[in-house]
Amino acid sequence: MTLLSGSLAADFGGTTDAVVALHGVKVHYPVKEGVLQRVTGQVRAVDGVDLSGPRGQTLGLVGESGCGKTTLGRVIAGLVAPTGGDIWVDVDATQHSEIERLRGVATEDRSPEDQASWKSLESNHRLGSMSRDKQSRYRRNCQVVFQDAFSSLNPRQLVRDIVGRPLRVHKEASGEDLDRRVIELLERVGLDSQHLLRFPHQFSGGQRQRISIARALALNPEFVILDEPTSALDVSVQAQILNLLVDLQKDLGLTYLFITHDLGVVQHMSDRIAVMYLGQIAEYGPTADVFNSPLHPYSRILRDSNPTLEDSLDTVKWDLSGTVPNPVNPPQGCRLHPRCPVARAECGWSIDDVLTDAERNTPVVFETISRVERKSDFRATVSFSEPEQAKKFAKRIGSLAAHEALEQPIRLDDKLVEVSFNEVSEAQLQQLKDGRWSSCTRTQNLGALPEL
Amino acid sequence: MARSDDWLLRVDDLSVHFESSKGVAHAVDHVSFDIYPHETLALVGETGCGKSVTARSILRLVPEPPGSYASGSISLRNGDGSVTEILTATERTVRSIRGDRISMIFQDPGKALNPGLTIGRQLAEVFGEHRMSMILGNAGFDPEKPSRTATKIVQQRAGLLERGVYRLTHLRAPKALQKSIDDSVMQALADTGIPNPRKILGSYPHELSGGMKQRVMIAQALACDPDLLIADEPTTALDVTIQARILDLIHEMQQRRGMAILYITHDLSLVRQFADRVAVMYAGRLAEIGPSAGVLASPQHPYTQGLLAAIPRPATPRGQLAAIPGTVPQLIDPPPQCHFASRCSFAASACHQVTPQLLTIADKHDVSCHRFDTASRIDVSPQDMPSAATLGGVASS
Repeated sequence: MTLLSGSLAADFGGTTDAVVALHGVKVHYPVKEGVLQRVTGQVRAVDGVDLSGPRGQTLGLVGESGCGKTTLGRVIAGLVAPTGGDIWVDVDATQHSEIERLRGVATEDRSPEDQASWKSLESNHRLGSMSRDKQSRYRRNCQVVFQDAFSSLNPRQLVRDIVGRPLRVHKEASGEDLDRRVIELLERVGLDSQHLLRFPHQFSGGQRQRISIARALALNPEFVILDEPTSALDVSVQAQILNLLVDLQKDLGLTYLFITHDLGVVQHMSDRIAVMYLGQIAEYGPTADVFNSPLHPYSRILRDSNPTLEDSLDTVKWDLSGTVPNPVNPPQGCRLHPRCPVARAECGWSIDDVLTDAERNTPVVFETISRVERKSDFRATVSFSEPEQAKKFAKRIGSLAAHEALEQPIRLDDKLVEVSFNEVSEAQLQQLKDGRWSSCTRTQNLGALPEL
Repeated sequence: MARSDDWLLRVDDLSVHFESSKGVAHAVDHVSFDIYPHETLALVGETGCGKSVTARSILRLVPEPPGSYASGSISLRNGDGSVTEILTATERTVRSIRGDRISMIFQDPGKALNPGLTIGRQLAEVFGEHRMSMILGNAGFDPEKPSRTATKIVQQRAGLLERGVYRLTHLRAPKALQKSIDDSVMQALADTGIPNPRKILGSYPHELSGGMKQRVMIAQALACDPDLLIADEPTTALDVTIQARILDLIHEMQQRRGMAILYITHDLSLVRQFADRVAVMYAGRLAEIGPSAGVLASPQHPYTQGLLAAIPRPATPRGQLAAIPGTVPQLIDPPPQCHFASRCSFAASACHQVTPQLLTIADKHDVSCHRFDTASRIDVSPQDMPSAATLGGVASS
């Protein structure tokens, strides 16, 4: 199957410009150990993400806890500096194709015109190298509503101070004018002037989230990052807040990045969704398409696991095995492969996968393993106490792993089995159809989700 | 309200009050329901509706004070047909029921497991408390005439002795005894699908993932084959993929062992898949109770209707979720009225003056609403309603 070219950062969802476009954004946190606090590894919270926030639309970001969705939201808001990659702000399609073109040219190969063009793009649009002035404008323009309205509102401040603070900090209003503006904002979110002089603890969870939204709207932003805005609320109140958010988007032309783990909510709210797994985007596409015909096993599993009031579309439910791997040392190849129900050896098997498979599916064989001598993560000699079991083990790997996945054919020598896999490059997000992206290598080859 | 007699647990007119500086909070207000053997009853409601307090009352776990059981009874039917009154039983009787006949799994497995004990030791406690003779028997002792030392050692291994006491009896456990304990614990763990249980016997809770901790809790709760399992939001703290696996596990264990489950949740979409019957609570009272298919397909109480309409579905146009206006009322000294009246679009004057009672409207389907008959919503005048006195003195509470 032929794959369309380009990167996801250029997918503007039908509009011509994006409030923000991400190119290979990475956030790695160092792991320190010992008395000397030496850095022994990196937690790859976000590991090479391309994404764009199409103006006036809602982009949903879903994933389980620890997949890096909140960190990604914070990077986009400018609260966390990325350790790699670029964040472009307010770019239209022509500027973006220029960025794409220049990124393809190595810095030393660029012509003087190219260099000048890159420089002007960087100083005007790249978060981190923009002028202070522009940076501050972006911060005003991009606001965040946090998950927990209990801890994101200062308990010792009055509502007037909480909602009015952005206006004061940016010297937008003061005195009576400030009060008037705050009351306007409160009315916008369904509160009124009688709430002006109260403390956060005097409000219910839903009202507190309204205050958070009012604060986020104080500076007339174009772009609002909603980080699990309703996950601490009851359904009846959640419905009120979601309706409010949709009304505000219609009235003010807002762009939303909606971060959540709740698939029902994201399906209701978003135009497009990006499904994240272990710091990377697994699938991206229009919401209805991703739900109706997922192109990545992980999206399919998420959908199937999500309890709904309707009957599910497919009768066979896909299930995820095992637990989330350590993001310090993510699996090679496709990051989902150790847990994926349709994974094949070519998805990036290593010695660990063979042993896990043996433990799970052929416990009798696994019991007789006496020694595993590793030459690398992909090459090892496994010794058995009985030659019969060694034969079974070799046979099973032979049936699971296609020849392309093996560096050398499996060698069986009485009680010893020698296995060596090819190292596989990391799975890349590719456009399969118009606007549908998936990072599953098997789906990319087949053009559709593989059968279970 | 029609109630048949083959119940396992009967909650009758239960009220639980909490003293606070502002007044008496009626957390649970005249709630009655039965749980039958082998069934799953879901208790659904929003934050603060009293569902967890109801569940804890069944094990008499509400702290007194500030809590108090203001009215009602909870009865558990024993194997021989006799009935134990949980609220009036001795502490010793209740202790023998907890973890043996009725057990509970809690919302956050991270908080419900003791961080200072290994998994093996934590699970040994259940066996030491309820299955002493089995442990001794498996170790080759005579369960009829157990040796005092052996009993003490098991109790010590299970963390059931005060520190000072077990110092005196600090003897080396005979290998057979320790093996008997470990075997029972490993069997319980293996039943919940934990691969290689021996590996986690010596682990501490923080070393396990959330899903694994919840499995350990389930193993602990099911160790003694309870008749009733109370699951208090068992998956709220977990991711969806793990939630599905844990719920499947609970369901499978129910199939295998035939216990009844009281499943407490705020998520109506889980009810459809896992419960035979559902009871909806609002502000301390039962709003509606009935077979889950029936209640979800044609909810009769306006609150249940609102709750279902508020869940985002693929078909709902964006921004047009039917939100329930307003917020939950204060539970402190509530007046005699329908608690939902202030948020209800069908409320009539009677709803603000008289507490509605549960009425059977269909087969095993009860609703507490003056105006449940949605087909003909005629105004009911207060004169037509039964007076508060004939309603069993609800108004005076």
